[in-house]
Amino acid sequence: MRMFWQLVIASVKDMVRDRMSLFWFIAFPLLFTFLFGTIFSGMDDGTQSFDIGLVVKDQGPLGQGIVAAFKSVPVFELHIGPEDDELNSLRQGRRLAVVIIPEFNMQAMTARTPTEVVVYYDESQQATARIVVASVGELLAEVERRVTNAPRLFTAKALSIHVEEFRSVDYLIPGILAMASMQLGLYGTFTFVELREKKIIKRLGATPLPRSMVLWAEILVRLVMAVVQCLAIAVVGAVFFDLKIIGNWLLIVGSVILGASMFISLGYFLISFARTNEAAQGLIQMVHFPMMFLSGIFFPINVMPEFLRPVVDAIPLTYLGDLLRHNMLGLPSEFGVGKDVAILSAWLVVTLWLAIKRFRWE
Amino acid sequence: MECIIVEDLRKHYGQVKAVDGLSFSVERGEVFGMLGPNGAGKTTTVECLIGLIKRDSGRVEILGRDPKVDPVGVKSRIGVQLQTAAMFPRLTVREIVKLYSTFYANPLGADEVISLVGLEEKANTQTRHLSGGQLQRLSVALALVANGEIVFLDEPTTGMDPQARRAFWEIIESMRSKGKTVFLTTHYMEEAERLCDRVAVVDQGKVIALDSPAQLIADNFSEQAIEFVHPQLAQDDALSFLPAVTRRQTENTTVILYTLEVPRTMEALLQRAREIGANVGNLTVRTATLEDVFLKLTGRRIRE
Repeated sequence: MRMFWQLVIASVKDMVRDRMSLFWFIAFPLLFTFLFGTIFSGMDDGTQSFDIGLVVKDQGPLGQGIVAAFKSVPVFELHIGPEDDELNSLRQGRRLAVVIIPEFNMQAMTARTPTEVVVYYDESQQATARIVVASVGELLAEVERRVTNAPRLFTAKALSIHVEEFRSVDYLIPGILAMASMQLGLYGTFTFVELREKKIIKRLGATPLPRSMVLWAEILVRLVMAVVQCLAIAVVGAVFFDLKIIGNWLLIVGSVILGASMFISLGYFLISFARTNEAAQGLIQMVHFPMMFLSGIFFPINVMPEFLRPVVDAIPLTYLGDLLRHNMLGLPSEFGVGKDVAILSAWLVVTLWLAIKRFRWE
Repeated sequence: MECIIVEDLRKHYGQVKAVDGLSFSVERGEVFGMLGPNGAGKTTTVECLIGLIKRDSGRVEILGRDPKVDPVGVKSRIGVQLQTAAMFPRLTVREIVKLYSTFYANPLGADEVISLVGLEEKANTQTRHLSGGQLQRLSVALALVANGEIVFLDEPTTGMDPQARRAFWEIIESMRSKGKTVFLTTHYMEEAERLCDRVAVVDQGKVIALDSPAQLIADNFSEQAIEFVHPQLAQDDALSFLPAVTRRQTENTTVILYTLEVPRTMEALLQRAREIGANVGNLTVRTATLEDVFLKLTGRRIRE
C-alpha cells in the first residue's frame, strides 16, 4: 500500500508542476465561470415589470379613474402619451401593450351600450401579453363595478407560494462544472499516453510494483481533482455570483464522481486508438468540442434546432449538467434524476467495458 | 552456485526470431557480459530474464525462480536498468530514486545511490531537464537503489561520455568486490573486456562463443593484427599470401592482417605497397581483441 500512495504523490506532483494541465483543469473552468457568470447575471435585473402604454382620450372623471386604477398596479410601468407615440414605441419593442381609453359617451353608457377599450400588444411576446390583456380586462371590470355599484359576488384572494427564483447564472454554473469534469476526464488521460509513449510504464513493469497500480493511482488523482474543481467552482459561484447551493454535498460530490468516472473511462477508451500524444489530442478534441456545445450545458435544450435533438439526447454531458443543476441548486430536472443517473451509469458501464477490452500497456 | 540458468531460450516476434535457442548460466558474484551487435537479441533476452516479457520456450531460472511463473518474486530480488531512460518528466532525480526505493524491501539510500552515479548536482532537477547521458546515469541509479542480489544492466553506458563511462566501470568493480552478481549487455568491446569475468558473444539470437575475454581471444588468435586503410590495397589479393599471415579480413577499404610474426609480415607488406605504388599511412599493430573474435566468428564487425 505504501508504494501506491508514493505513486499517487508522484502523480500529483507531476500534475501540479505541469502548468498546462493546471490551467485546463482549474483556471479554465474558473475563467469560464467568471466570464459567463458576469455576462449572464447582467441579463436578469431582479423583479420583472411590464411596460404599458396608456393613451387617455377621455378627460372626464371616468378617464381619470381608470388611470388611477392602472397606476395602482405595481408591476405596470405606465407610460402615458399620445396614441401615435405609444404605438410607435410598441412597434419598437419598448411597450408590451398599449391601452387606448376612448372618450366616453355618457348617452351610450346610460343606454348600456359597451364602449370598446382597445388593447394593442406585442405579438412576439404572446404569453406575457395575454396575461397583461387579461389583467387590463379585469381592471376595467373592477372600474365598471364601482361605477355601476354592482355588488361583488366573488373575490379572488391570491396567496403566493414561495418559489425559489432561478437566474441564468444558476443554470450556467452547474453546466460549467459538468464541462470541467468532462475536460478533466478526457484530457487527464494524456498523462497515461505520455507514460506509455515514453515507456515509463514499461520501466515500472520491471519493478515488483503491480502495473495496474500505476493506472489506479492516476484515476484516483483525477477523481480527487474533479472534487477539487467542483469545490473551486462552487465557491466562486457562491462568493461572486450569489449562487445558493441548497443541495446535499454528498449528492453533489457523488454526481461529480459519477460524471468524472464516466469521462475518464471514455478518455481511456479513446486513447486506446492513439499511439502518440498528438493523435490522442486530436481524437479527444474531436469528441470534446461537439459535446461541449451540443449538450445543453450553456443553452437550454429547447433552443437547439430539432434535427440536433437526437445528438443532444445521446450526449452524456447533457445529463450530467441536468443532474448537477438539480442536485446543487434544486432546479427542476429536465429529464428526471432517475433518467440522468441511469443514462450516465449506462455510459460508464459501456465505456469502461470498451476501455478495459481495448486497453494497451505498451 | 548458479544464480541465472538459461537453457534453449526462444522468443519470436512473428517471423523474427529475436532469441533463437540461447543457453548459458551465471555464477553468483560473477560479472557476466552479453556482447553483440544491435538486433542480436540482447534486450529481448534481458526482458525475458527479468519477467518483463514471456518467453516462447526454454528454461529460465533466476535465483531459483522462473520469471514466467513468479515475475514479482523475481523482480523484487533484482535491480534492473532498461534502455528506456525516460522517467516522470516533472519529478526531480531525488524524488524518482526515492519513489523507486519504496518498491523494494531493502533498498539503498536515495542520496547514496545518486552520489554513486555522480548526479548529486542534479538531485533537485526535474528529469525533463536532464541530458541523455544524465538520464542514463539516473537509469543506472534506479537499478542500484533496489539493492538486489543480481543487477541487470541493458546497454548501461550508451550515451555516456568517456568520463561517465569510467565512473560507471568503477561502480561495477565495487559491486564485484561486494559480491553482487552483475548481468550486463553491451556492444562496446573494451567494456566487456575490462569488466566481465565471462562474456557470451551473441549474434542473431544465438550464443556463438562463451568464455572469459582473455580465453576467447587466446582460443581464436595467437596472432597479432596489422590494420590499415587503403582503397587500392584492399583490392589486392596478394596480401593474403604474405609471409606469416594466417587470416585476412577486408571490409570496404579497411584491411586487417593477422600475423604470427609482425616484422616479417610488415616488411613484405611495405615492399608490396612500394611495388604497386601505394603509400600506406595510417597503420596500426595491435594484439587481437574481442572485436577480432567477433569478426572472425561472424565475418562482420559489431558496430556497423
